Amino acid sequence: MQTYDAKKKKKTWALKDVIFLAVIGIFFGIIYQVWSYAYYAMAATPLKPFANDATLGVWIMAGPLAGVLIQKIGSSVIGEMLAAAVEMLLFSSWGASTLISGFVQGIGSELGFAATGYRDWGKRGLLLSTLFTTIITFVWDLAQSGYMEYHLPLLTVLFVVRFISIGFFAGVLVAMIAKMVDKAGVLKK
Amino acid sequence: MNPAAVFVLMLGIGIPLTFIKSVILNVVVSSVCLAYLLFCKVKPKTLLTMLLVALPLAFGSYVSQRFYASHDQVHIAWIYATRIIAYLNLGATLTLPNSVENILFNLAEHLNFSKTFVYGMLSSFNMIHTIRVQWKRIRYSALVRGERYRLFQPALYLRIIVVSLNLSGDLAQAMTSQGFSEGFPRSRYEKDELPVWQWLLVSILIVSYVACAIIFKPW
Amino acid sequence: MTSLRLADVTFSYDDCEGPIVENFSYELDEGTISLISGPSGCGKSTVFKLMAGLLPQYGGKILSGKVLLENAEIESVVPFERAKRVAMLFQNPNRQFAMKTVFSQFVFALENLQLDHQEIEERINDALKRFELEDFKDRNLQELSGGEQQRIALALVYSLKSSVILLDEPFANVDPENRSKLLEDLKRLQKEQRKTILISDHDSSGYFGIVDHWYRFSSQGFVEKDVNELKTREQQPKVIGMPKNDARLFWDDLGFEVSKRKLLSNSSFCLPTGQIGLLSGKNGCGKSTLFACLCKLHEKTGKITFDQKDSDKIKLSKWAKNVGCAFQNSLDQFIKLTVEEEILASRKNTRHKDYWSEERIQKAIKALNLTGIMKHSVYRISGGQQKKLQLLVMLIMAQPILLIDEPFAGLDQESLEVSCSLLKETVENLQLSVLLISHQRVRVVSFMDYEISLENGILKEVSA
Repeated sequence: MQTYDAKKKKKTWALKDVIFLAVIGIFFGIIYQVWSYAYYAMAATPLKPFANDATLGVWIMAGPLAGVLIQKIGSSVIGEMLAAAVEMLLFSSWGASTLISGFVQGIGSELGFAATGYRDWGKRGLLLSTLFTTIITFVWDLAQSGYMEYHLPLLTVLFVVRFISIGFFAGVLVAMIAKMVDKAGVLKK
Repeated sequence: MNPAAVFVLMLGIGIPLTFIKSVILNVVVSSVCLAYLLFCKVKPKTLLTMLLVALPLAFGSYVSQRFYASHDQVHIAWIYATRIIAYLNLGATLTLPNSVENILFNLAEHLNFSKTFVYGMLSSFNMIHTIRVQWKRIRYSALVRGERYRLFQPALYLRIIVVSLNLSGDLAQAMTSQGFSEGFPRSRYEKDELPVWQWLLVSILIVSYVACAIIFKPW
Repeated sequence: MTSLRLADVTFSYDDCEGPIVENFSYELDEGTISLISGPSGCGKSTVFKLMAGLLPQYGGKILSGKVLLENAEIESVVPFERAKRVAMLFQNPNRQFAMKTVFSQFVFALENLQLDHQEIEERINDALKRFELEDFKDRNLQELSGGEQQRIALALVYSLKSSVILLDEPFANVDPENRSKLLEDLKRLQKEQRKTILISDHDSSGYFGIVDHWYRFSSQGFVEKDVNELKTREQQPKVIGMPKNDARLFWDDLGFEVSKRKLLSNSSFCLPTGQIGLLSGKNGCGKSTLFACLCKLHEKTGKITFDQKDSDKIKLSKWAKNVGCAFQNSLDQFIKLTVEEEILASRKNTRHKDYWSEERIQKAIKALNLTGIMKHSVYRISGGQQKKLQLLVMLIMAQPILLIDEPFAGLDQESLEVSCSLLKETVENLQLSVLLISHQRVRVVSFMDYEISLENGILKEVSA
């Protein structure tokens, strides 16, 4: 009978973690279906860049949330990628762009936690994570969504809008959720 | 084509597409993808709906650039509008002709994706009906108490987390009891072949796309 | 043959809480069928999961003692090696499948054992044939009934060739017909294949002549009982009374389906005011789904009206103001963090502010013995406490219509008594219409005013 050291396995990604994040991803997918009508209405007009930046926070919550819930190296980027994969496979046919932007967003929030040496999953980690995410996704949109063609004043406004959106949803809200989860005592570390 | 090869192709074209500013190439990518989709017997009606839904978004990109671009507005507006469509078609080549199962199995088989991830995702996808029912229940539980969950309330996410924890715990335990062992080998009942010519084709397509863009700089 | 035993095991889910299983020893008697009965929350599931090696892999800690599978600690046996020897059927049949179809689920499990193509095919065909499930091969698992799902799960376990089969409350969502089929199958597996089978069930009926051992799990401990006592079936008490005609909620020609199976058709009823009705029916007959329909959470045909207003024309948020629902799983109910916050939230939005005075609420809290846990997280109190809190917050809300699904599961005798009295008192004072599902009838039915029963797609009054 083959045996193994069960205790050593706990550090790697467990099946339960993957399913946990994927199920959360599906919930987010359901939420996005509601949310996307608002985005859609705005995105068909010249307000599109504003719609992008103002709603971005909601789209990228999954990453930092996975980070604070799982607290493992790579959890943000994997959490965001899982959410993106769920989105791609179940809810839309955007494929490449969903996955690529999921990766870019995930890297952003992962870097924030990495900058604390993966020691701070609280306010400092989240602040850094939102900051990195804002910068990295913005740089990406300079190329992908053609932001580099815009005037500087518009870019400044968009950057600020984006930081507020990400700061609220992926920062403040995630911190509040983490605090609640902690108080509720549903996750045993 | 094998979904794993299509996946590589999708990313291989998709990433440079972000940096290549060419209306012509965007149109070429879109047309090739559409032709492939029709070849795979995807219903034209499905394709049409997909394009119609994306059209307003492309239009949004177009008018945004016409409004705000600092130079050469018309050309730039067309670039970003067609890019949206190209992305969409590119994504559809993977997701429309293949089942979710098929995509994930082949990614595990040929691109060495972790089986824990592949089966973790698959099993949660099969729970989607249960998850929708739970979502309705979460909403009703607030309504029945005279409240309503909003997107910005942490309490809503706590509920989602609790349900997800229970579902994932039950499912993972069942899978473990059926012998799923993380990090150990499994056999495969059925394998999809991925012949070398497909890898070759994928490489040629990506290289020629990028080369075209760099050498000819089409409009 | 596979030996499996717990040797003096003490197990706890949490460092701060006491152990749920203490100094527990038990050895499976090979080649026999054993039944463990006992109320919910007594630790049956924990013991089963320990034996299957799922605990402590999925949480908690063995503080002392060992769980031994063929003299190896089961925790350190690789899952696919465990599965060849010990397999488990779970309480929630639809949460034990990873794949979409019956066939792909079998393939998944057999691939885990690293079998080759031919072996997999042979084992699947053999299992499906043996359990007469060939027609199910390509069916979508999530579209099967709970009973069919459990039969598939048993066939699956058979194909793994596990010699020990653990079934943890396997019949909770299984209709009686499939239940007896499953029991027959289990008996056959024991006789023909010398399988060792352990079943936990809160309902000990129908086991006489099937099981070789019977154990009872309770707060007094774990004791073996005489299987002959299984012969004497407990008399199920009846509800005495009839529904009145005075009502605010009506349904007419109501019908619904669950995964494409019609579970109710042409039902008409008016839910009497000021009375508590018991909705009875066998497992899996659609009682909870009927509640879901009445809450507008499930597709229906026909018409439901409240105060003559058609449910289809009323927004969900408004509907919820009049039709309250206490879900079977308490954790689906709570919207706040602590017990205190839960009660405050109900108090804020109650339909009867005058009735639910501070004094009355405090009295109820005290009667339900919740006083000491007011600041606790609702997720960290016991199952019984959750049930009592859930009942209280819904009674404080006091919607004119209140549907309550299994409010007494896991309650001790005293709590049961208090809960029933509180329910009765509130219903009478506020003239609510309550419909209630409870598999427990003893000490409950005397509080009920009438009974309706859902059977074979028909809802009818039961008169004693």
